[in-house]
Amino acid sequence: MPPIIEMRDVCKSFGQTQVLHNINFSIDEGEVVVIIGPSGSGKSTLIRCINCLEMISSGTLIVDNIRIPEHRRKIRDIRLEVGMVFQQFNLFPHLTALGNVAFGPQKSRGMDKSKANEIASDLLAKVGLADFHNKLPGQLSGGQQQRVAIARALAVNPKVMLFDEPTSALDPEMIGEVLDVMKSIAQQSGMTMAVVTHEMGFASQVGDRLIFMDEGRIVEEGKPGEVMKNPKSTRLTEFLGHVKHH
Amino acid sequence: MGFEFSVITDSIPALLEGAKLTWIITLLGIVGGMIFGILAGLGRLAGSEYLGEAPHNTLSKTVSTIIRYLSGGYVETIRGTPIIVQAMFIYFAFPMLVKSLTDIERFRIEALTAAVITIIINAGAYIAEIVRGSVMSVNKGLLEAGLSLGISRFQLIAHIIGPIAFRRMIPPLGNQFIISLKDTSLFIVIGVGELTRQGQEIMASNFRALEIWLTVAIMYLIMTSALAVSLRTLERKMKIF
Repeated sequence: MPPIIEMRDVCKSFGQTQVLHNINFSIDEGEVVVIIGPSGSGKSTLIRCINCLEMISSGTLIVDNIRIPEHRRKIRDIRLEVGMVFQQFNLFPHLTALGNVAFGPQKSRGMDKSKANEIASDLLAKVGLADFHNKLPGQLSGGQQQRVAIARALAVNPKVMLFDEPTSALDPEMIGEVLDVMKSIAQQSGMTMAVVTHEMGFASQVGDRLIFMDEGRIVEEGKPGEVMKNPKSTRLTEFLGHVKHH
Repeated sequence: MGFEFSVITDSIPALLEGAKLTWIITLLGIVGGMIFGILAGLGRLAGSEYLGEAPHNTLSKTVSTIIRYLSGGYVETIRGTPIIVQAMFIYFAFPMLVKSLTDIERFRIEALTAAVITIIINAGAYIAEIVRGSVMSVNKGLLEAGLSLGISRFQLIAHIIGPIAFRRMIPPLGNQFIISLKDTSLFIVIGVGELTRQGQEIMASNFRALEIWLTVAIMYLIMTSALAVSLRTLERKMKIF
């Protein structure tokens, strides 16, 4: 089976600044890849390139057999296969929790409203928010908002989920509830996931593979436990020292 | 010559006729102005990231640039000239232009039509900037969240940018609607029988400046208050976030 996501010699620049340098990596179906690295290392840019929120500057991106840049007109097809969860939740403030989750199925999958609401209702129950259908994002806590955001991304029925620092904007006591939801998605539904995070516990428990990035390059990768126990580069050793002390 | 209350009661039917015309010009003007304003406001943002994603191919880049220049030219031209000159142009100069360019012998624009067109075009230019500002204020993360769900640009504008931006447009729109209503008083110069014109005519026949202009002022105040109250109500109804 070919990998569901593949990057070949991918570079990304913003103006004069090159953020990604010749990235080569792939994700197999069902795999959970955790990406760590210091701020500015290009880890967010890397996963934002996967659903084309950032367009790669050179190289090839293949998502579920759709090739970028060749199939540039099919960006929307890629996005239907790839859900994304953001650091800042980004819930639609004018829609209820149910409306947020039903939005994707209705607008991008073209489902009728009652079917979309049914799916949304099931997903809200799955993330533990069955009683919050009619709440607006402003009435929810950060952790609840992020769980609605996860349900919203899942509602489009993607093959891959991207998480861009999903717990970094949360109060400490809310991090657990979001990580638990992510864990159950990985373990119960066997979802393919790429997760940018600083949560090393999550990385070692749930991750199949850990990628350490620094200055726009993949520096180390491997089984999370092994990479964390025996870092090869001094850069990763230092980084792990910082993360563990917090 | 003291304050005569009967002057006011006598003048009220004629003034109400004028107020009715003021109201008609204003309502048609702001409805049309909204359409012009939304088109020109979005037009000025054509091809920018505020409406989703910047275009990649040369054709859509060129089309966006043309739309941007046309909308920008319209807004700057209208903002840069007095409304009274615009009214004169539409009522007197435009028919001349048509006559000199075509074979049409008798081309005329009714004063009332000219008044409505003037308000539409004038308010449209200011509303365009209100629309542009509100759209630009929508958090970019929400656009990314929408795009990442695989929706089209049109859906993004209609279902996410539109509703969020509209809520923020209401206070400045209230300003513009009230300004447009008061601007209708300038159509006295092209002979539209709106409220100010009616007041002027009654005043010219009975010389009761105090009573007439006081009544006229109060009538304007009632109409602008009605606009303000309806916008406040709309704002409260949409105050969900």
